[in-house]
This record gives sequence, structure tokens and C-alpha cells, in this order.
Amino acid sequence: MAKITIDNQEIECRDGIPVLQAALEAGWDVPHYCYHPGLSVVASCRLCLMEMQLPHPKTREMGWAPKLFPSCQTPVKDGMVVRFDSGAVEQNQKACMEYFLLNHPLDCPVCDQAGECHLQDYSYKFGESESRMHDQKQVNPKKDIGPQTLLYSDRCVMCTRCVRFAEEVSGTEELCIVNRGGRAEIDIFPGIPLDNPMQGNVVDVCPVGALLDKDFLFKKRVWFLESGDSVCPGCSTGCAIRVDQSDNRVQRLKPRYNPGVNEWWMCDEGRFGWKYVHDVERVTRPRLRRGAEMETPAWESLGEIVRYRFEQQVDRHGAAKVAVLLSPMMACEEAWLLAKFVRELAPDATIATGFVPMVGEERCFPVGCNADDAKFVIRREKCPNGRGVELVAEHFGGSTCDFDGFVTKAGEGAFEAVWVVGGYSEEWVPKALATSLAKIEMLVVQDMFESALTGEAELVLPACAWVERDGSFVNHAGLIQPFERAINVPDGARRDGQYLFGLAGFEGLYSGARVRALMAEEMDAFREIAEAPRQPAHQH
Amino acid sequence: MGSYEPVLLKNRGVEGSCTLKVHRAGGGYAGAEKALKLSSDEVIEEVKKANLRGRGGAGFPAGVKWSFLPKDREKTILCVNGDESEPPTFSNRVLMESDPHMLIEGIIIAAYATRSQVAYVYLRVEFHEQFHILQLAIDEAYAAGLLGKDVLGSGFDLDVYVHRGAGAYVCGEETGLIESLEGKRGWPRIKPPFPAVEGAFGLPTVVNNVETLANLPHIMTRGADWFQSIGAGSSTGPKLFCLSGPVNRPGCFEGAMDMTCEELIYGDDYGRGMVDDVGVKAVFPGGISMGVLTGDELGMKMDFDDPRNFGLLGLGTAAAVVVDVETDMRDVLLNVSRFYSHESCGQCTQCREGTSWMYRIASRIAMGAGRIEDLDLLEQVSGRMGMMPGYSICGLPDGAAFPIRGLVQKFRTEYEEHMGRQRDGRAEAVLRVLN
Repeated sequence: MAKITIDNQEIECRDGIPVLQAALEAGWDVPHYCYHPGLSVVASCRLCLMEMQLPHPKTREMGWAPKLFPSCQTPVKDGMVVRFDSGAVEQNQKACMEYFLLNHPLDCPVCDQAGECHLQDYSYKFGESESRMHDQKQVNPKKDIGPQTLLYSDRCVMCTRCVRFAEEVSGTEELCIVNRGGRAEIDIFPGIPLDNPMQGNVVDVCPVGALLDKDFLFKKRVWFLESGDSVCPGCSTGCAIRVDQSDNRVQRLKPRYNPGVNEWWMCDEGRFGWKYVHDVERVTRPRLRRGAEMETPAWESLGEIVRYRFEQQVDRHGAAKVAVLLSPMMACEEAWLLAKFVRELAPDATIATGFVPMVGEERCFPVGCNADDAKFVIRREKCPNGRGVELVAEHFGGSTCDFDGFVTKAGEGAFEAVWVVGGYSEEWVPKALATSLAKIEMLVVQDMFESALTGEAELVLPACAWVERDGSFVNHAGLIQPFERAINVPDGARRDGQYLFGLAGFEGLYSGARVRALMAEEMDAFREIAEAPRQPAHQH
Repeated sequence: MGSYEPVLLKNRGVEGSCTLKVHRAGGGYAGAEKALKLSSDEVIEEVKKANLRGRGGAGFPAGVKWSFLPKDREKTILCVNGDESEPPTFSNRVLMESDPHMLIEGIIIAAYATRSQVAYVYLRVEFHEQFHILQLAIDEAYAAGLLGKDVLGSGFDLDVYVHRGAGAYVCGEETGLIESLEGKRGWPRIKPPFPAVEGAFGLPTVVNNVETLANLPHIMTRGADWFQSIGAGSSTGPKLFCLSGPVNRPGCFEGAMDMTCEELIYGDDYGRGMVDDVGVKAVFPGGISMGVLTGDELGMKMDFDDPRNFGLLGLGTAAAVVVDVETDMRDVLLNVSRFYSHESCGQCTQCREGTSWMYRIASRIAMGAGRIEDLDLLEQVSGRMGMMPGYSICGLPDGAAFPIRGLVQKFRTEYEEHMGRQRDGRAEAVLRVLN
């Protein structure tokens, strides 16, 4: 740890980090554009300049040096004295803000970035309200640079974060700078669009409205958005994300800083992979077979019905004929509640872990690097909680098996009463499983979409999308990460956690934290997280 | 002052001056031979003793620059800065045209002193003929055993490559040059690390100007004392001066740095006065980047220190361009600001936006639509750019600020007079059209 003095205040900071980073972490709002903690330092926007004390060349007496220093490029050193609250620094900030706006079209009313734009914020805080340039503006063109992204280069401040991202993180190097001086602009190489699995991040790193996400373009003013801190369910990496919603609809996903996991980034697969949440085909109501008829039971009576019918099966065939298939799309808490319910009814019941979709290979970024040097990995395991449901199954012990084992056993007619959980965004039921489970007496299917199984089920329960639930996922490396609910469940549905909470014999409202506290009593892995949830600091 | 015996340009005009034969006949490569017999530290000491200050513009002592190289380095790279992009400078060009072997000899000495086994000569792309002349001379030197393995039988190896730029002013800045040499966009690098520690291709690198290197053979043969005897104070040694504008004899001249700007324009050995004896209104004495002198300030000494007393940045490339009394200073302002607006690399905000803003103001003033406040604006904008106050990565914006601020400050009355003669409301009318 180094001790440095900023504006007469002594702070402690990690060794070797830039002064700017130290100041930002300690709560100073130092304006900056080109600096991004995840990218190399170029010190070109010259907005974060500070004053620094240096020894006088002759007398060696410490005093303010007669020039400004870029705080992004100056590493902290123990005993260093710097200041941002000086006239020279403020004058530079003012001048810079005027420069950034010289050629800017000032089209905030039609700009997607408005409301979360650093050009707006810094102008308001550090700039002037009027430009002194009355001459014609340099108008750079608006460009379609890729299937997902637009570049309005008239709004660009040339911080080159996007160029550095494409060079240093995605490693795909599609972006470059063309032309010189005031005519400089960001561009792609002719005929090679910005099209890589990480490209959405360039929109995030853009501090202004120059890079725009076509998916979100003109959808919503950002001040109408409300956010929930979540975890991406797209693969087992478990990127920390923010779900921005409005009117109970997801509008976009953004990555949250999450050291050691996804850092500042997320992939496009996750970023745009939420569309199924608002699919009209989703199962939103419970459906119960009574004789030949299917009916929608009231949620209140469901617990009793399920319990009664399961008990009947246990009486008829014995507890060993009962099985539950825990999906890796479930949260740990839900899996624990369901397993607890089933094991209480039928202590010999089999707990199986569900289908784990594997697609392609692990994809490491920057492209071409090996797994150890990767800054970001898109994993082939396309579910968020494979590790978590395994933990739960291990905890309950007894008769457990994996998905393949479950399919085999079901084919052999080992089960008569089965609770199957899906929750996948895509078709997942193997034909063999559908055929063998069609024959059994009691099949409960908890899923998001109709499948070959839901038609055969005694009881169909709606599974909710992860943005409608809260709980925790355990990523590929065993890290337990809680996620918040961002939107409400569709009309008619109820949160999985809520009805499982009731079935497992608890009263009141379900919450991930509440169940985690219960789990922590019996599972070591959850003790730490229940006591002090990992809350990575938000980092700009 | 007695008549000056040229050293650097002694072979100019001599038949076959580009050939090894003519260079050798004049005692060529004796300096290199002498240097190779010394240790590299001894060569550095001699150059330090001579106080050879860099001829590229900043005037930093070459020997001191070399001693910044880390002691435990394995490889060093010598870059020869032949970008010569400062308007109106052409002394490197003349040197390379008239005596390329003098440069090669200088390269050998500098490479030996800095323990570089490879030297890159970075030439601006517009130097087509000079490229061929230099390349021929290098080929000749290789054939004669002066380059390549075992230079002059000393056991020292040196390869020299000529690299041609792509036409950017900023590639004359040492780290811009290194980036460009590496095949990247010519954007100056942030320092530290300084090139002496981590330069071209990540190796310790020295960048020296062509003219600086051309002085080395003479320091080796004639000694540091001889070098110190030319000129005065800390500005010693032979120096090339360029002179352009409406003078009777424009061109590249060699002289000592103890003459005044007036002597350069009017001296018999130099400019021989103005065409038709018109008066001098302004002079940019050190390439346009250093700033401007009025006709009354011609007493300025053409050395490394005196220009500061006249509000200039330094001696620069010692390339004077003379502006006569007939010239409209609005056009001068336009021309100067256009250059920097065109050549700013676009990296740092103040320079990228400031230079193009100043150009737009200057164009409006030139079209007769200036406002008095534009002059204040020009002063302010030029006052908020440059490396010295910390506003930029490289020194280009200092070079943009000095001439423009100088023009506005020293010729303000003229600009105001022009504006006074404008039709009432003209500036506002033009601004309306522009927006």
C-alpha cells in the first residue's frame, strides 16, 4: 500500500496503480475519457491532468512543478503529493471540454447515450455552457460498422478506447483510426465489419454516444431504466451483469466489473441472449391433469395437490421410485428447496443433475491466446449453475446421478414419480427420455417452454427466466455469485423459488438471501456467501 | 568575423561529391577510423567535450543523450532522423545530396559510440532523389568494407537501412519516428519509457538528426577544441542555415552560430539582401515552429540561447523564412495555422482541436471577416497547448502555439487595422453563412 496526498487529503492506495485510478477509487470525480482500467494507457485526452510536487532542480525543495501531469500515466508513489483543485487544472478541464464540444453536433435529444454520457456530465460539471467557436463544424460521418453496431463519428471524442479494446481484449483488431488531426476518425478496414463475439463491449467502453448498439437503438431513454444486479446465465463463466429494464421488460444487459471473472466485459452471446424472456410461447400458468382434463389450479391449492399425489406414488411404488431432475438453469436455492421437498416425501428418492448443454469449444480472448493468458473466456458449458446443482446433489447424497445416468435409469423403468426441471431457452428433451417418462404415472415438469415432456405431464409448472428470479449461481470455478430479480414474473406465473419455498415447508416470502442463510446452516460452501455476499465494487 | 571555411558543405558543388572516392580524397572516413580505435566511452567523452548540441531543433547535447542508454543493454538501435519536415528547412537534404558519405561516417561513429549494430535512416517520402543518392552511397560503403561485418577491420559490425516515411510532419518527432519505423501509425509515444530505455522494437534507441551526425567525423579528426572554437558560448561548431523568402540569394549556408539574423539575410556570404531592397516585415528564423521576429528584431543571434530573449521557442532548425513588407500578415497566419491543423496527429485533444480551430479562425480573418475577439481567442487557444505546460504528449503543439501566438502578439496592430477596414457587419454576416 502506498500513501499519497490528493488535494491535502491523505489516502491509501494499492502500489503501482495510476494516480487517476487511486483518486477515482477514493471518491474523486476526475474527468477522463481515454483512461480505462482494462485497457492500456495512452494519456491522449489530456483531461485528467493534475499538479504534482517535485523537488526543485537546484534547491531540491519540494514544490508544485510548473506544468501539469496526466494522472492516468503517473503511477502512485509513496509520499507523493498531487492536487486536482488548482486553477491550472480546472482551467485545463474547462478548455478541454470546450474542445471536445467544438465539432460535436449537440444532438443529445436524439442520442441514445444522453443521460449516461460523460460528455454531458463533464460539460455540466467542468465545462462552459457556450462554445466560442462560431465557424463551421467539422462533421464526420455516421457509419454502419457491423451487424450490431453503429458509429456516429460526429459524436466521437477520439479517446480510442474502442480501438484498444479490439486490439487488446478481443484481439480481433477490426477498428483503426483514419485521417489526421481534427479530421481523424475511428473506422473499420474496408469490407471488414466489426463482427466478433465480444464486440458489444465497444459500446460500453465508449464514453460518449459515438458507438451505438443497434439492439438498443432508440428503444428507451436511459433515465427510464431501472437496474438489477444479475449474473449472466449464458455459460458457466458467470459474468456479473446489470439488467436494465423498464415497464417490466428487459431493455439491455450490461457487464458489471467483476475481478477475476469477467472483469469489465461480457460476450455478445450473453448480451443479446435474453430475448426468450419475452417470448409469448412461454409457459406462464400451472396446468394439472384431472382425469382426462387439463385445468389451471389455483397457486394456493397447488402445494396440497402436489404433496398428496407424490405421497400416493410413494405409498404405491415405494420411495425409491421417486426422482427429481435438478436443472443447471436453476439457482442453488431453488435446487436445494426442491431436493429438500422431494427427500422429505421420499427419503430414497434419486436426485439427478440435469442436462448440461455443451456447444463447440471454449473461446478465449484475445483471439489466439492460450487459456492461461485469456482475458475473457466464453465457455462451452451453456448453463450458469452446473456446479451449483452438483453441490446440492452432493449435499443431499444418497441416490444421485448425472443426466446420462438419469436417462438410462428412466429408460429402464426405474422411476414412477419424477419431477423434471428444465428452464432452457432452447429445445432440450432427448427423445429417449420423452418416451420413457411418457409411461410413468406421475410426471411433474417445471419448464419455460412446451416440450415433448410437458404434453405427458401430470402437472406442468412454469419455470421463470433468471431475470424474474433471485438466487445464486456457482460458476465453472466454484465461485458462488448471487443475482437479483430485475423484472416481475409474467402474469399468472409465480417465482419458482416462491412455490418451492412453500412446498419445502417454509412460510412467507422467498428470497435468495433467506434461503442461503438456511443452506449455510448445513452447507459449508454457502456459509461465507450468506454472511458476506461478494459485492464487487462498481468500477467505471 | 573572418571568412568562414566550410566543413559540412566543403564538397558541395565538387564533381562526384557523392562518391566514396571524392569523400576519401578529402580525408573522409579518417574520423571513423580514429573513433573505432578508441573505446566507445572515449568517443562519447570527446563528443560531450565538444558539446555537440543536437541540430534537429531542441539543441540537446548528443553526448549526454547517448549516456542515457542503460549500461547493461544488449542491443541498441540508432535511428537517423532524416524526416526534415519542418518548413522551410532543407539542410539535411543538401547534406545528403552533396556528401552522403559524411553522414554514413557519422553513423558509423555514433553507432560505435552507442554500441548499435543496426542503424535506420528515416527519410521523408518526398526525398526521392536523396534516397537513391544515399542508398547508392551505402551500397558503395558496404562494398568497401565500411559497413556490414567488421567495419574497417575493427571487429565492429554495423548494418544501415534506409526507411522511407509516408509523409507526416509528426514523424520527425523521435517517438513518432520510432512508431512509424515499426510500421505503425506515426503517433508520438507517451514517456516514460524514454527511447533510450525502450525505443524502436522495444530496444534502447538513440535518435539523432542527420546534421548532428555529419558533425561527428570532424569532431573526431579535428578534436573537441577545434569544435569549441567555432561560434561562442554554448552554441559552437559548424551549423547549416537555410534561408528562403524574397532574398537575393536563398539557399543553404554553413556558418558559425555567432551571426545575427540580419547578417544571415544581408551578409555577402549568405542572403545578400532583399530582392529590390524591400523591407523585412517578419522573419521566422528557426523554421516556422520556433516563432516569429519582427523587422526590428533582426539583431537576434542565430544561436541556441538568444532566440528565447525574443519570445521564440529556440533556434530550431535555423531555417529562416523572410516575409517582406508587401505581404499581408493575415495570409502568413493562414498559412502557418493551416500547416499545423493539417499536420497535428490527432492524439491529444488540445492540439487536435486547437490547431483546427485556429486554422478556421485564421481563414475567416484572411477572408476579411475577422473580429477583434478572434485575436484574443487565438492567443488563448495557442496558450493552452504544448508539451511544456503538460498539455500534450509531444512538442508539435508547442511549435504550433509559438508562431501563432507570436504573430498575433507582434502584429496585432496590423490585424486590427485590417479588421478596421472591413465593412461593418461583415464578420457577423460571414459567421451567419458559415452556420
